[in-house]
Amino acid sequence: MTTHQTAYRALPPTAAAVDPGPEAEDFRHEFRAWLSEHAPPELRGVGWPAPPGSPHTEALRDWGKVLCDAGYMCVSWPREYGGRGLSPVEVAIMNEEFDRAGVPRVTRGRAETTVGPAVIAHGTEEQKAYFLPRIISGEHVYCQGFSEPGAGSDLAGLRTSGVVEGDELVITGQKVWTSGYYESTMMFCLVRTDPDAPKHAGISYVLLPVAENGPGTGVEFRPIRQLTGRSGFAETFLDGARVPLFNVIGGLHQGWRVTVTTLGHERGNRATIAHVAYARDFWALVEEVRARGLAGDPAVREKLAWAWTQIETMRFSGLHLLAALAAGQDPTTRAENGSVTKIRWSEYARGFGELALDLLGPEALTAGGAGEDGLGYWQEQFLSSRSGTIWGGTAEVQRNIIAERVLGLPKESRGMGR
Amino acid sequence: MSLAVTAEQEDLRAAVGRFLDSRAPLSRTRELMERPVPHDPETWRALAVELGVQGIGVPEEHGGSGIDVQALAHVFEETGRVLLPGPLLATLGLAVPLLLASGDSAAQARYLPGIAAGETVATVGWLAPGAAWDTVGGAATAVPRPRSGWALDGRVALVLDGLAADLCLVVADTPAGPSVFAVDTTGPGVDRHRVRALDPTRGLAEFVLDGAPGSRVGEEGAGSALLAAARDQACVLLAAEMVGAAQACLDMAVAYARQREQFGRPIGSFQAIKHKCAEVLVEIEGARSCARYAAWACGASPEEVPTVAALAKAAAAEAFFRAAADGLQIHGGIGFTWEHDAHLFLKRAKACQVLFGDTRAFRLRLADRLGI
Ligand SMILES: Cc1cc2nc3c(=O)[nH]c(=O)nc-3n(C[C@H](O)[C@H](O)[C@H](O)COP(=O)(O)OP(=O)(O)OC[C@H]3O[C@@H](n4cnc5c(N)ncnc54)[C@H](O)[C@@H]3O)c2cc1C
Repeated sequence: MTTHQTAYRALPPTAAAVDPGPEAEDFRHEFRAWLSEHAPPELRGVGWPAPPGSPHTEALRDWGKVLCDAGYMCVSWPREYGGRGLSPVEVAIMNEEFDRAGVPRVTRGRAETTVGPAVIAHGTEEQKAYFLPRIISGEHVYCQGFSEPGAGSDLAGLRTSGVVEGDELVITGQKVWTSGYYESTMMFCLVRTDPDAPKHAGISYVLLPVAENGPGTGVEFRPIRQLTGRSGFAETFLDGARVPLFNVIGGLHQGWRVTVTTLGHERGNRATIAHVAYARDFWALVEEVRARGLAGDPAVREKLAWAWTQIETMRFSGLHLLAALAAGQDPTTRAENGSVTKIRWSEYARGFGELALDLLGPEALTAGGAGEDGLGYWQEQFLSSRSGTIWGGTAEVQRNIIAERVLGLPKESRGMGR
Repeated sequence: MSLAVTAEQEDLRAAVGRFLDSRAPLSRTRELMERPVPHDPETWRALAVELGVQGIGVPEEHGGSGIDVQALAHVFEETGRVLLPGPLLATLGLAVPLLLASGDSAAQARYLPGIAAGETVATVGWLAPGAAWDTVGGAATAVPRPRSGWALDGRVALVLDGLAADLCLVVADTPAGPSVFAVDTTGPGVDRHRVRALDPTRGLAEFVLDGAPGSRVGEEGAGSALLAAARDQACVLLAAEMVGAAQACLDMAVAYARQREQFGRPIGSFQAIKHKCAEVLVEIEGARSCARYAAWACGASPEEVPTVAALAKAAAAEAFFRAAADGLQIHGGIGFTWEHDAHLFLKRAKACQVLFGDTRAFRLRLADRLGI
């Protein structure tokens, strides 16, 4: 079933609502021309990131290299660090053009949106010169080592220790839920380097090589099977893993500050592009519904209209953000922030997954698809959508953040979360 | 023209906000709602004369400042905050768009200048008593009068701010189909009476027409199309009004939650309260994005209006109701009193949700318009 690749309605382009300005429009034309010449036809309709074991892995890697060579990787980083200095509006235009051409925008994922910005903001010039080009080229692929068995929502409760020995840091402890461990060569992790300091003050932000791992290396991944049947994340055992102090970003014990100031970087990106994939899935589901002769059922139509409303809300919210940025305004004057958008898309995705299975009827019960355990596309959607309200700050934690930081409600009593 | 809020819009919004705070705050709404006609002509005129509000909905050649629905939506967010009683929605949401859609320049020249100047209050009536929202026709009939004009007979229900209105655009049946007629509400053959309403802050009236003189607006038989266009804009502005009102509910609830203490701490430190507030905020922000986009589309992307108006109305109604209902709950016992303002918002919220069709009806309409 390749329903997710079904054509969907073209959405009106950003240009009309955002007024990006002549320079950004020039960029659109330049990039459109470049894409029409270079977009690999074999990747048309292929998604990014590709699931493990995807037949397109090789082609995607090559496409990433083409983008790199042309300077279309890590485009929002400053030019002096190998990026292209694109504004969020230009990045949105770029995303739109990728979408228009029907080929995926290969990115460097978290390395691009989180690690790079942290290094740029807090690293020394030597660190920038070493780490940034390797992210761009794809040599350094990062996984995230934040969560621990005892530290989830209460991240600052982490216990993995980093002990300074000479010009090295020796790391011992356990990380968990390490996504994408199987393709990583590096891990950006938080370790406790000063056990005597207050909770948030003794943490360091470390870039740890993990390409060599396994028994005896100090780094060991033990895959964890997810509810989809796949092993998308792992437990990570760190046992005396050695890393030069050079790999500590922002200085020893400064890790919390580095983390907090670079968490928001993903936002512009995600907020302005999330709706595209949801719209594609939506129209694919509409096709399924039509094929089953359910499109005339008012109960079904009402639910589909609900879903479309959510998707449009995401599109509008992204456009408002871009329009404000393009007009040189500070978009944070609205209460709409990263927590609000995250709750919106993650809860929508869950609802849509549930709806899809409801509408499939008896077919939802049986496995006969191409996925793990023979699951079909919609079944996998349903299952994987349960994670959005957990990773990167659970929905409950996001609500706490909104209540305290946006609405100014009083904190809970001590010892109760962040 | 972009979606970004301009400095002029910010200024307008602030000016309207100041005006309402000093001249028409929520306490004034409470006074007006006790009257048979919840409308203050003085405020209405001042809105036009001092702030040019009505003119924002009217083209320059008819005495307005040029139609700018985006700016109007900001005004409606503000008036929603104080549940401003009065015919803003009836006049600028329904009547003016209908007049404009009619392409009838004579009717426009006759009525729009008075509206822009704050001298005329206009509304639209189309529903027969007990009819479903989508019905067009069946409320009144019109027959040509011997010398000129038409005579209307029938019963028109749920006329928004009907008692405040000087002009009512009535959709009446002719052999060519439902058509629009301008009726002078103070003229002969018009008997109108107040309908007691769930929401006392918005006037509702029923009109009994008995040979009431009417002059046709637009083409004969164009009633359905004109009404549809008017209702789309009404939904967009209503959505903005609801967003403003919802925000007021949230602000009220948060202020109370910070100050009220139980178990030795502010109730706003309890997560059940916090999360309610946060969820309401998420809904309001989503509704605001929809309402503002829809208002923008009225000027810049008209082909999207039929879908985004339906979507914005439903989204804002959901957010507003939730904000009003949860806001009331957060107030505890005091929220259940007549004296507290929470019930005014609850009533307005439910009435708005039902007005022009409930959320389900709007979702189905959206599905139709998407071609699903
Ligand atoms: C698919 C997936 C991928 C992930 N990838 C990574 C990764 O690559 N690297 C990494 O470091 N981590 C990763 N994580 C971990 C993720 O960030 C954590 O799961 C998350 O922060 C929650 O922590 P926890 O699982 O320990 O749950 P807990 O913090 O134990 O929470 C359990 C429940 O309690 C609630 N709760 C906790 N505190 C509060 C509070 N103060 N108020 C109200 N409710 C509260 C939570 O909302 C949740 O419902 C991933 C998780 C998932 C599901």
